[in-house]
Amino acid sequence: ESISKQATEIWISKIQVNKPAVLRRAEQIQARRPVKKEWQAAWLLKAVTCIDLTTLSGDDTASNIQRLCYKAKYPIREDLLKALNMHDKGITTAAVCVYPARVCDAVRALKAAGCDIPVASVATGFPAAQTHLKTRLEEIRLAVEDGATEIDVVINRTLVLTGQWKALYDEIRQFRKACGEAHLKTILATGELGSLTNVYKASMIAMMAGSDFIKTSTGKETVNATFPVAIVMLRAIRDFFWKTGNKVGFKPAGGIRSAKDSLVWLSLIKEELGDEWMKPELFRIGASTLLADIERQIYHHVTGRYAAYHDLPMS
Amino acid sequence: MAATRTASRACEIFTTLEYGPAPESHACALAWLDTQDRHLGHYVNGQWLKPEHRSSVPCQDPITGENLASCLQAQSEDVAAAVEAARASLENWSTQPGAIRAQHLTRLAKVIQKHQRLLWTLESLVTGRAVREVRDRDVPLAQQLLQYHAVQAHTQEEALAGWEPMGVIGLILSPTFPFLDMMWRICPALAVGCTVVVLVPPASPTPLLLAQLAGELGPFPGILNVISGPASLGPVLAAQPGVQKVAFCGAIEGGLRLLIQEAVWDETMRRLQERMGRLRCGHGLDGAVDMGARGAAARDLAQRYVSEAQSQGAQVFQAGSEPSDSPFFPPTLVSDLPPASPCTQAEVPWPLVVASPFRTAKEALAVANGTPRGGSASVWSERLGQALELAYGLQVGTVWINAHGLRDPAVPMGGCKESGSSWHGGQDGLYEYLRPSGTPAWIPYLSKTLNYDAFGLALPSTLPAGPETGPAPPYGLFVGGRFQAPGARSSRPIRDSQGSLQGYVAEGGAKDIRGAVEAAHQAAPGWMSQSPAARAALLWALAAALQRREPNLVSRLERHGVELKVAKAEVELSVKRLRAWGARVQAQGCALQVAELRGPVLRLREPLGVLAIVCPDEWPLLAFVSLLAPALAHGNTVVLVPSGACPIPALEVCQEMATLLPAGLVNVVTGDRDHLTRCLALHQDIQALWYFGSAQGSQFVEWASAGNLKPVWVNRGCPRAWDQEAEGAGPELGRRAARTKALWLPMGD
Repeated sequence: ESISKQATEIWISKIQVNKPAVLRRAEQIQARRPVKKEWQAAWLLKAVTCIDLTTLSGDDTASNIQRLCYKAKYPIREDLLKALNMHDKGITTAAVCVYPARVCDAVRALKAAGCDIPVASVATGFPAAQTHLKTRLEEIRLAVEDGATEIDVVINRTLVLTGQWKALYDEIRQFRKACGEAHLKTILATGELGSLTNVYKASMIAMMAGSDFIKTSTGKETVNATFPVAIVMLRAIRDFFWKTGNKVGFKPAGGIRSAKDSLVWLSLIKEELGDEWMKPELFRIGASTLLADIERQIYHHVTGRYAAYHDLPMS
Repeated sequence: MAATRTASRACEIFTTLEYGPAPESHACALAWLDTQDRHLGHYVNGQWLKPEHRSSVPCQDPITGENLASCLQAQSEDVAAAVEAARASLENWSTQPGAIRAQHLTRLAKVIQKHQRLLWTLESLVTGRAVREVRDRDVPLAQQLLQYHAVQAHTQEEALAGWEPMGVIGLILSPTFPFLDMMWRICPALAVGCTVVVLVPPASPTPLLLAQLAGELGPFPGILNVISGPASLGPVLAAQPGVQKVAFCGAIEGGLRLLIQEAVWDETMRRLQERMGRLRCGHGLDGAVDMGARGAAARDLAQRYVSEAQSQGAQVFQAGSEPSDSPFFPPTLVSDLPPASPCTQAEVPWPLVVASPFRTAKEALAVANGTPRGGSASVWSERLGQALELAYGLQVGTVWINAHGLRDPAVPMGGCKESGSSWHGGQDGLYEYLRPSGTPAWIPYLSKTLNYDAFGLALPSTLPAGPETGPAPPYGLFVGGRFQAPGARSSRPIRDSQGSLQGYVAEGGAKDIRGAVEAAHQAAPGWMSQSPAARAALLWALAAALQRREPNLVSRLERHGVELKVAKAEVELSVKRLRAWGARVQAQGCALQVAELRGPVLRLREPLGVLAIVCPDEWPLLAFVSLLAPALAHGNTVVLVPSGACPIPALEVCQEMATLLPAGLVNVVTGDRDHLTRCLALHQDIQALWYFGSAQGSQFVEWASAGNLKPVWVNRGCPRAWDQEAEGAGPELGRRAARTKALWLPMGD
């Protein structure tokens, strides 16, 4: 499993991302794959199953976590699913994502609802990662103890910006160890990495260190999930797959609010990585308000009318 | 029932995650065709022209074969009517202030913006091209072109002082072309005050729609006239009185040739196949399609090429799952083509990419430049130094570094070699439709009696005409830096104004021209790589040498019958010309800022290569120097034929050049002008030819130079005022002495 130092250097040192070309591709991808009618409905449901339904607020309490978990289990109104003949396909979101201190609440609520949707917890000094390594590792262990089976860690941007790739690799290795059986999703906080070349290198290091997913951002930076950054990360995932045969997942997060956006993200995955990545095991969308818009679109698809605010249950 | 069917589909798609159809409604295109009762004529002078008793051809959907409309085929009378309309509106249009023309073009841009859906659906419907290509690229660019040229028109009086519109422009479009190519040509023409007649191939409604939109704007109906008809009407259009220029527009871009360094061959091919495998082919009007169809002919062409390549052992990669009986052809990657196979030489058809490996950058450059085409190229490398070196070395009109296919109205687009030497866009594009003020209008004069096979073929034999009187002129052909005996080993007498023998000059022939061109080619790399300052220094040194030799040159001119005062002025002006071009060459090229790219676009002025010049008989010294100086200043090496009647002053200058200039930079061949002109015009490895002589000679040069499409400049027998600044040293000379290259440099990390 361990990747030699030589490989580390070859895989990242010669990399140079062509930014203008990436920007161009990012612009094109948004206009070239419209998905309409039934296709749209089916794709939107697929997007639902890939959502990490998230709440990361200072005022989270047990009651809104419970509501979130219920919505995760019943993301789309039953009658709408029935109209699409999808009511018995087990459509739920992929996970719920909360702060470490709320993991217990979420686990309890999901258990009460009788479902096995995984609970994801952010960790490692989220969102800035400016705490001691020791406490960051401890955070992971505690979240896992509380029942989180997916851990969204955030990397130390200082190490990227100062080019300490080996140190970054070692840190993520320790996160990996601390996770134990839990899935490791590594947040690169791409809005703070300075260049697309750094995004590629950080992606590669995170994957080499054993991440199950790489994730664009915390949602707390000023720039979050953008298509150019996504293209670079997806190409890194593809390169890693070609080199090692390991499929690493991708999770954009932050600023994905509209159903239309989620379609573009799905088509981006399809274009860059192929159909096998278009499933919750390898693709997640970190979002809180996206689900509501998707439900509205599906309502429109089924009924031919635009929903009023009160037509759909809130999360 | 419908609901259930929908539902079951959703369930299935949830698993397959396939793309569905995303049809773009073309109802408005059909509605527009209905306004013409599905029967299109020509659009002339602001109204539809539908003459009777004309044959018509069907306009079909290239994918379904459905008949969309019928299009009238023009006859000569219709062409004449269109030219007459353009001619009638020329005076009014060209004398309008630039600001008025600018306003008109801006209004047309706005009309296009308002009706863009009609434009893009119609174009996509009748051509089969992917709608996103037309919608996201062509239509916005058409608007930008109009806006850019509106600005050019607005500033014309100041920026283009000394130039005037040529007049009526004929434009002939080839069967497969996007309407955008028409816009690249009509926008600059209209902006500078020309009026246009476009001959479009049968069944092309988009240009007609554009003409209608422009015509309905009101005040200037006759400036854009579109007639549809067969290409055989081209000569008819060219021969109409008043047509000042005929521009052709070739087919749309074909396939690509890709050179990949061996070290990254496997990796690149893998990525290429991965990407090509995800391109979607389909009906042009589907919004989720990358590539449409271009009809059966294009498909057959591609199929033939692929079969041929396969039979020669090439690897063929085809992605996609189009039905084979449709007009579609999948994007195809051909590799391992043997270098000697005919496919390697042939033009790659759309939608093919032919990849071949190379070892070093130098080798890549040699391969890339070793084709007769010179349109555009892109260089992909993360080493900027290497990319720039290749970009400078490529003999093409446009180079993109780490990008491909970008266009902007401000960036000139053109080519060299067989890709033609005309320019579209930017300042360079405007000059295509301008002529220096005061130049007489071109009268289409083609002598039917000129025998191309015989022109200049026979070399008149010359006999000794007695002993020379006075000092003997320098003798020999000045080739490769020294005076050499001519291959024919004979000489021709040069008489002075009294008719007495002034001396003998060498009788040059085909072999001597070949030698001179070879010498010029050998000197070319060295001279091209000189800095402008170094070139300027040499021109100034030559100027000083001419000054020293003044008495000698003046007496030579006097013997030729030039008055003393005039002779002195001629030498003085010649000195001045050399100094002026030396100084001018230092201010070359510029950087442009464009919308589509972060980073500069460099507009480079590059030497043409070997430039052949046939000097006029008049002003034997001044014309020689006036033509030589800009050619050298722009980095060309030169083969000159001096004045036939009075070649001796030029030979005197050669004596100075022998000591000052690198060998082969300037080569002067004396002899029979018609014969030498023939040799030069038929030489394939001369990059440009300037001819100042008879109307017949001009006609021959234009005819013969079509062999390699080298740019020619001929005077059609009209004398030029070489002693005047405008004609003797004007910007026109500088424009013709170099070619433009646009170098796109994206930035960003």
